[in-house]
Amino acid sequence: MRKSNFWGLLFVLPFIIGTAVFFVFPVLFSGYISFTDWDMFNPPKFVGLKNWINSFKDPAFWISFRNVLYFAAIFVPLQTIFALVIANMLNQKIKFKGGFRACYFLPNVTPWVAGAIVWKFLYGYDYGLINYILRSLGFEGSYWYDSDKWWVAIGSLALMNVWKGMGQTMVILLSAMQSVPKEIVEAATTEGAGKAAIFRKITVPMISPMVFLTMILSTISAFTAFDVFLTMFDVYSLPDRNNVVNLMVYREAFIYGKMGPASTLAWMLFIIILIITVIQRKFEKKWVHYEN
Amino acid sequence: MKTDDMKRIFYYIVLTLGAFIMLIPFLWVLSNSLKTVDNVMKIPPQYIPNPITLGNFKIVLNELSFLKYLGNSFFVVVFNLVGTVLSSALVGFGFAKFDFVGKKILFTLMLATLMMPAQVTMIPTYFIWSKAGMLDTFLPLILPAFLGQATGIFLFNQNYRSMPDVLYESALIDGCNPLRILFQIYMPLSKPTMMTLIVLTFIGAWNNTMGPLLYLQSREKYTLTMGLLTLDQSPIAAANVGVKMAGSVITMAPVIIVFLFSQKYFVQGDISSGVKG
Repeated sequence: MRKSNFWGLLFVLPFIIGTAVFFVFPVLFSGYISFTDWDMFNPPKFVGLKNWINSFKDPAFWISFRNVLYFAAIFVPLQTIFALVIANMLNQKIKFKGGFRACYFLPNVTPWVAGAIVWKFLYGYDYGLINYILRSLGFEGSYWYDSDKWWVAIGSLALMNVWKGMGQTMVILLSAMQSVPKEIVEAATTEGAGKAAIFRKITVPMISPMVFLTMILSTISAFTAFDVFLTMFDVYSLPDRNNVVNLMVYREAFIYGKMGPASTLAWMLFIIILIITVIQRKFEKKWVHYEN
Repeated sequence: MKTDDMKRIFYYIVLTLGAFIMLIPFLWVLSNSLKTVDNVMKIPPQYIPNPITLGNFKIVLNELSFLKYLGNSFFVVVFNLVGTVLSSALVGFGFAKFDFVGKKILFTLMLATLMMPAQVTMIPTYFIWSKAGMLDTFLPLILPAFLGQATGIFLFNQNYRSMPDVLYESALIDGCNPLRILFQIYMPLSKPTMMTLIVLTFIGAWNNTMGPLLYLQSREKYTLTMGLLTLDQSPIAAANVGVKMAGSVITMAPVIIVFLFSQKYFVQGDISSGVKG
């Protein structure tokens, strides 16, 4: 490492320009816009706290917020549990490990817009594979993503999101499990501990920081999920009961041209994410095991 | 011993069943893309298409201009690859090998860019491109790649930090300037990092839907994701699910191929970017 302002700044110059233009300015400007009325063509008009108060009072916002919470409440635990179970199985002496891992990871690399077309077909009422299987088992078919009930519609999307995201969490947890020292596991085995006991008493506590991290990452990804909603729902005719905050931001800004309220909503979403991350951190101390 | 064998068989059954469930959407899209129009909507469903037809692919590639969109997607992705690798190597090298004013603040800013939801910066960024007169061009999808990207900077920074400074010092004595040292000595040594970044960038840029949705307006500029998103607007596709399935297959195939051939890089990079993100 050498001290050189000239060469150092020259090398990071692309980043300085990029961050100034595409991060620092947009963040500050969007904060300002949230206190104005702006259509992007005429100069912004300062309106004080109006957008914030309106958004706060708007039932549509709270419904969207409830939907995101519900989406995260289904998606995060399911994804974490499935990923833990599969990772633990792949951590045993198993053949075709690479093949299995690839299968679980595959949805993660494909674009939502392609996945959504297939899922809409799978979830279809008349000709969908899922309803066909349900009906041949003697159940009744149901509407899923296009259901009248918000919790069915949002829930169907949360399940799809587990399909899409599980592989990534699984791979992170698997590599954490593989870094658990073998000596500890061997020592426990010679002392007579069974596989289940080793998983509960050694593996889980040792990888708990990683489990926690993946849960924070999944929660953030649930709150910022956009593509899955955009591709599964019709933005132009989406009823309030199925809306989420991210789609609201997009709609307000690029369909209704109301940049002020849109920026306010985006900032409210960001603040909510921060609060939830802080709360999760508080819980972290209770059950995450850290080595000193 | 016996119970261990039983357990292993149980693991194989669960793992295979799970993998099959993960793959159902892929098998289903492929199967339906190859069906004739009357065989797509059938109860009970036809699992293996009979007869097999490539008609849906022909329609989507020619009549619905997916061939054009495919070209556009590759065009955008190639520039993203070049831009991201070059700029991230430069910036990563700068962070790894030099001390300079403001380094700490810049590094913190880099981590902050990973945490801010895109929705917060979306409107001002759109405003910048519209003021610059670059709406409905590929530039908003390409130019930012040349200005460094946090995951890439982070990967190169880690990599170059772990390489000995002696390399640098001796090349300097031989009269190389720092730029040449990066391009001729360090970059060739960081091929695995480069590969990881190339794969991550390929997949990220290929799957980008938000960017094209905001910035591309005329159909002849659409990328595949945008073509697929608006496919319902075409009467041919709306009337035949098979055509939409063929469109999905064309959109997914390149990323799946890239993933299958580069698994080790992809999984590696994903972990380190995920962990620090």
